[in-house]
Amino acid sequence: MVADVDFWLTQFLNGLQLSMLLFLLSIGLTIIFGLMHFVNLAHGALYMVGAYAGVSAAAALGNFWAALLIAPIAVMLVGIFLYAAIIRHMRRAGPMNQVLVTFGLIFVIVDLVRIVWGDIALGMAQPAILSGPAEFLGVVYPAYRLFIIAVGLIVMAALSLVLSRTQIGAMVRAGVENDAMAACLGINVERLFFAVFCVGCALAGLAGAIAAPVFSATPSMATDILIPTLIVVVIGGLGSLRGAIAGSLIVGFIQTFGAVVMPEFASVLVYVLLAAVLIVKPAGLLPARS
Amino acid sequence: MKKYVCAALGACASIALMAHAAAAETKVGLLLPKSGNYAALGQEIDDGFVMALEEAGMADDFTLVREDSEAKPPVGVAKARKLVLQDEVDAMVGIVSSAVLGAVRDFVDGSKVPLIVANAGNDAATGASCSKYIVRVSFSNGQVNRPMGSWMAEQGIKKVYTLAPDYAAGHQMIDAFTESFTAAGGEIVGSEYTPFGKTQDFGPYLTTAKAASPDAIFVFYAGGEAISFVKQYDSFGIKKDIPLYGSGFLTSPLYVKAEGPAAIGVKTSLHYVPTLDTPENKAFVAAFKAKFDRPPSEYAVQGYDAARVLVEAVKAGANDRESIAEGLTKVSYTGPRGPLTIDPATNNVVQNIYIYETVADGDALTQKIIGTVPEVRDPANGCSLK
Amino acid sequence: MFHQTPLKTFTVAAVIAALALYAILGGYFPREIVIEIALLAILAVSLDFVAGYGGMVSLCHGAIYGIGAYAFAGMTAIGGYDTVTATLVALAAAAAFGLFVGAVAANITGIFFIMATLAFGQMAYVVVFESRALGGDDGLSGIARYDLSAIGIDMNDSLQFALFCLAVVVIAYAAAAYVLRSTFGRTLSGIHSNEDRMRALGLTAWRHKAVAFSFSSMLAGAAGILAAQHTQFVSPELLVWTVSGEVLIVVILGGLGTLAGPIAGAALLVLLKHKIGAYTEHWHLVIGLFLVAAVMAGGRGVYGQIEYWLRQRAGRRADA
Repeated sequence: MVADVDFWLTQFLNGLQLSMLLFLLSIGLTIIFGLMHFVNLAHGALYMVGAYAGVSAAAALGNFWAALLIAPIAVMLVGIFLYAAIIRHMRRAGPMNQVLVTFGLIFVIVDLVRIVWGDIALGMAQPAILSGPAEFLGVVYPAYRLFIIAVGLIVMAALSLVLSRTQIGAMVRAGVENDAMAACLGINVERLFFAVFCVGCALAGLAGAIAAPVFSATPSMATDILIPTLIVVVIGGLGSLRGAIAGSLIVGFIQTFGAVVMPEFASVLVYVLLAAVLIVKPAGLLPARS
Repeated sequence: MKKYVCAALGACASIALMAHAAAAETKVGLLLPKSGNYAALGQEIDDGFVMALEEAGMADDFTLVREDSEAKPPVGVAKARKLVLQDEVDAMVGIVSSAVLGAVRDFVDGSKVPLIVANAGNDAATGASCSKYIVRVSFSNGQVNRPMGSWMAEQGIKKVYTLAPDYAAGHQMIDAFTESFTAAGGEIVGSEYTPFGKTQDFGPYLTTAKAASPDAIFVFYAGGEAISFVKQYDSFGIKKDIPLYGSGFLTSPLYVKAEGPAAIGVKTSLHYVPTLDTPENKAFVAAFKAKFDRPPSEYAVQGYDAARVLVEAVKAGANDRESIAEGLTKVSYTGPRGPLTIDPATNNVVQNIYIYETVADGDALTQKIIGTVPEVRDPANGCSLK
Repeated sequence: MFHQTPLKTFTVAAVIAALALYAILGGYFPREIVIEIALLAILAVSLDFVAGYGGMVSLCHGAIYGIGAYAFAGMTAIGGYDTVTATLVALAAAAAFGLFVGAVAANITGIFFIMATLAFGQMAYVVVFESRALGGDDGLSGIARYDLSAIGIDMNDSLQFALFCLAVVVIAYAAAAYVLRSTFGRTLSGIHSNEDRMRALGLTAWRHKAVAFSFSSMLAGAAGILAAQHTQFVSPELLVWTVSGEVLIVVILGGLGTLAGPIAGAALLVLLKHKIGAYTEHWHLVIGLFLVAAVMAGGRGVYGQIEYWLRQRAGRRADA
């Protein structure tokens, strides 16, 4: 194998980049679950909508940065609609019904996307400033991927700050720990959930728009991304920011280095890991509730 | 008087019979994916098929029954059985996925209904498990890639790294390339198969491939994976040191728009390129663009030729399952992709393979043909039809 | 707790009779649809057995179904064994896999259990997909059907095969109902409602759950055996997690924890799919809206909703 520092540094960046994308997706899913015990399988479909919204916005405005702003807002609006029409009424319907309803939503959203944008995968141009390779720590690495890593780290830092330092953050943490108690303390848990849900949707949309220039937008991305995201959430432990961070890093790096070191097992490694974690720690590595 | 009426009635009846024979006599089942990941290909093939029937002025002579295979083997088998046993079609056309082709093979062979394969490229379908009733007008995985191996060696490329998805088609494409490339004196310095349908991030593989420092990289990817791969290849900045070669599906006209400038300079081999400079192709491209407002892809041509061979066979007098199966193998004409015949030894198509480079044409991208390997014929591969 | 109520008996009998009639009177394609429904119904009964009565919602029943199909296919097409041996081996293979998953995942609950079963299912999928001996993603063909000519049944006739599959649905239902009514089944329901209490009573809960999961897997394996004979071709797609997802949809749609409901759910989903599919390529959209509407309407599943109405009416009559 290659014993070259540049090689491993590049692979490290590859792993980090994948982890950051997974993080943007899983953080919304995990906090929504942690706060309201709501299993939203349609989260991956929102990611797909984000990618398509980004592609269309970029094509219409000719500006990548505008697309990056519009896509999360568009997905948030979709999320608000879903919340008002369906999810609000499903809060106490039990996990099985939530699974069924959000599964149905995947079907609906994917087919609507097919009707609007067609079956053929659509590409999105990278902004000129980020296209092509850049120098980083002495290795040549695609500038756009460095940008993904940066966005992931910024969101991570911002969420950590909000959750640990602000009043809203404290309310969210209280809600995750014990929602009934939080409600007794005068926190409007429902409104809190709505706000968190919107942020989660926006982050899924952001992830979609950021991913589109690298992966292109396809109708199959809704289900393709669902399982890896669920794995991240479950490995990390439901409901915690630290869990989502740990889960994304573990899955991102296992996938990247699995592909390098033992490619023939690359597709099964992450499942082996998932099974192993659940057998040893049935509630994930860093669950929000002890 | 009585005699006269009888004769008149008889004449009427026979005219009616003849009219019936000319109109809507051949029933064709179109078995294509209409939902799922392959829906776009199914649509292209369908469009090409319909266009050829209209062009021949015989759209009324064929009754079409469309079924969605969903590109899933069990669904494909159920729908094939439905077409044959319930709709009693005279011929079936379609099949995008090789897995579906493998699943319906025994049934088609047993029920003796001709099947014109319009995409699925599994080598074995016209090799070890070939059938008298299965005729392929699209391509075989080996056929598209074998010529590229010798061609690249001729260009002075010595060391190649290969990448493809880890499933049967990926292995067959790479194997055919490897075989002819090494036979011509080339060396494969490394090879990797990426998990099929699960790989979106090619970064780790590209980094490893680059580290093997080959002269060139040869890959097979199609659909969404092709778009991701080409764009990521470009973003890693490897292209200027290590040029990208591949199976022509990589830069298919269907996807090249989404790939954008990243596809410029990629050299690939395929059985059809829309910029082919022949009168047949120019007429075809113009007609297709006029009807569908987009350039035809290789998939559209496959649909077109599937209809064309069927039309030719029917014109030559075939009118039932057995005679259509017989007639299909005798068809030969020069179409959009050049001379096309069916090899009676395997029932696979014999056709030119074109090597083309994707180049910039103003803001758009187009294909420049840089090599033609004429009349590529697959070896029998264990098939013994003749 | 499971009770074989008259409503359950009536539902199963009515659905099976209607399907049999549909197969007998319909043409070729209705028979294909009936077979598809029957296979899905067996899977749904087997999943409802563990999910509805044992609280173990599995996302690997598709993989177990595939294991049954592949074991049967491998034994007949590669090994050249007779169909009886192949059936026994396939049932044993499915049951053994189920026992393993059930034992290892017994202490995992809720969504974590779903994810753990997903992981094991996907591992099985990858192993089959990568296995050159089993044909990899090319699949395996040349699978024999049962030879029942001795009792006058021609399995190569689509109608007789469809009726045979319906008979297996009834057998699977009866087997599941029998086990649920036994002491074992009552204990399983006890574990589902309060595992700690059952442990306090001195029960080894994990062992009980593993055996239940193994039994359910055996039923799923039986569906796989029929699937292999039906298409006479197996491919790794059988094991993919979306198959398990579809079974789960059927169970919830029919009514989780009703055992009879899932059979009706299977018929409903498959018929809906084909009827809508005849009109539009976008049948997923309609099915999706239907699922959403079905849950919003009450979320008891089709059978559960009927049971609920009847109970309410009975209640009103009692009040009056």
